[in-house]
Amino acid sequence: MNVVVCVKQIPDPADPGALDPESKTLKRDGKLILDESDSYGVEMALQLAGDSGEVTLVSMAPNGEVSGLRTALAMGAAKAVLVSDDALKGSDALTTAKVLAKAIERAGSYDLILAATESSDGYTGTVPEQIAEVLGLPSVTFAKAVTIDGTTVKVDRQTEAGYDEVTCPLPALVSVTAGVVEPRYPSFKGIMAAKSKPVDQVTVADLGLDAANVGWAGAGQEIIEVAQAEARQAGEVIEDDGEAFNRVVGFLSDLKII
Amino acid sequence: MRFAFTDDQLAFADAVRELLADQCDAARVRAAWDGDGRVPGLWDRLAEMGVLGMLAPEGTGGLGMADVDLVAILAEGGRAAIPDPLAATAAVAVPTIRDHAQSDDAERWLAEISAGTARVGVGLSGNVGVLHAADAAIFLLEADDGLHLVDADVVELQPLDSVDGARRLSAVTWTPSAATRLPSAELAASQARDRAAVATAAELCGLADTMLAMTVAYVSERRQFGVPIGSFQAVKHQLADALVELEFAKPLVWRAALSRSTGDPSASMHASMAKAAASDAAHTVGLAALQCHGAIGYTVECDLHLWLKRSWALRAQDGDAAAHRRLVEAALLG
Repeated sequence: MNVVVCVKQIPDPADPGALDPESKTLKRDGKLILDESDSYGVEMALQLAGDSGEVTLVSMAPNGEVSGLRTALAMGAAKAVLVSDDALKGSDALTTAKVLAKAIERAGSYDLILAATESSDGYTGTVPEQIAEVLGLPSVTFAKAVTIDGTTVKVDRQTEAGYDEVTCPLPALVSVTAGVVEPRYPSFKGIMAAKSKPVDQVTVADLGLDAANVGWAGAGQEIIEVAQAEARQAGEVIEDDGEAFNRVVGFLSDLKII
Repeated sequence: MRFAFTDDQLAFADAVRELLADQCDAARVRAAWDGDGRVPGLWDRLAEMGVLGMLAPEGTGGLGMADVDLVAILAEGGRAAIPDPLAATAAVAVPTIRDHAQSDDAERWLAEISAGTARVGVGLSGNVGVLHAADAAIFLLEADDGLHLVDADVVELQPLDSVDGARRLSAVTWTPSAATRLPSAELAASQARDRAAVATAAELCGLADTMLAMTVAYVSERRQFGVPIGSFQAVKHQLADALVELEFAKPLVWRAALSRSTGDPSASMHASMAKAAASDAAHTVGLAALQCHGAIGYTVECDLHLWLKRSWALRAQDGDAAAHRRLVEAALLG
């Protein structure tokens, strides 16, 4: 089976991020890396595609950045479509979804599309479902297990209380959580092979989209102000009188962790 | 001449750094002190990635690469204080067997070592014991007449203590014979000693990098007189001096690996220059790190302790700085 994976290339979280004061968006001028949350989708795709299928990556990034794509190609993906165009700066979630949907169509035939539930840098958590809607496909979110059964995909969908067992016809879009699989480490052979794997770099025009409808020009939202996140509050100190564990259990229970 | 690592070499080192950051963190290094001196599962992952057989020919499951392709990876091993015998296996045993063993032996052992299914023990003259000898299926052991390839079933092992609790060392007793002696045994021993010196030098650079990073983090956080102690000149000058010495040692280590790869006639002297400089740099960094940590650095509970003890062991291993300076002197002055 052929699987398309939507991957985002993000600034290295190990380096302090910075906002562009003019656009009020994250600076993405330097080297970008594969978002760790996407490595789970890539691994899942590689396992589902097996030896007979093919994994294709789809990404949107500034400056023709391919560093993160090379990481996923080194893991074993066969090829990539990269949309890179200055006109895309400032794109909102829906525009991003429309662009990625066009890129997915360009990637060729597919049985399944995988994405992370959300990216790690700037996110709305809505792009995967919007892509599905644009492509007219069913979508399943928060997958913690994915199996293929003939022409359907079976998903264990994470919920607050446990998980739902969801079955849906292919082709479909599934967003996977971080726990879905353990991503492999790229081998040296994979790293060397990745250099020669095809990356189809395209512009907005190549996808048949109008530059006036994307980026800041096409955005249905505007960033008005950026404020510091509230400082973390001091924790609560509990004196253990022998019953403190009840307070801890209650605290975790309130957070729905247990 | 461009004297820098290639993109591929940097990508390999990055991949190993990421693997070790995930799988060989300080807690696992600490656990190796109490356990069997290995990080569970790590050896298989290194084999799968291609690290162990990097210098083995492609026909034996290796990647057919050169010493210079491996050296930055060895430094990553040091950065993580990997307790498994990465340097002795990938940087010493594999190229020695490749270049000097009979073809049947070479084919068999390189395939098994590259796949991680056979372990090899390396015992070179001047070193105390063999690392992880109890796990080894085959040994490269140096005698007066050069290097021998010895089956594990004809050696006797006696466990030894090490200053570094993660190192499992054994004294290996065996009887050299014509059957075990490699065809060009003296050359094999000399090249193996040089390779071991460079590999250990690379590990020392990585160890020192981490000790310095730990210390910078500590002095940025530890406050005295209302300010971080790292703001005092007495602290920051000490660390700056340590960094300078370390950064001056690294090019010698990279160059030594390049010289071995290109068959430079001075490769042996370059190996000695690398080991002398890296041993000294690790010493300077270790002293500065220990002093800047205060008494806490001496305690086994502090992660610095694990890296410091490894650096002490490796400074003495494969020839200390003084021994290698004498070799450089002899090479230069005759």
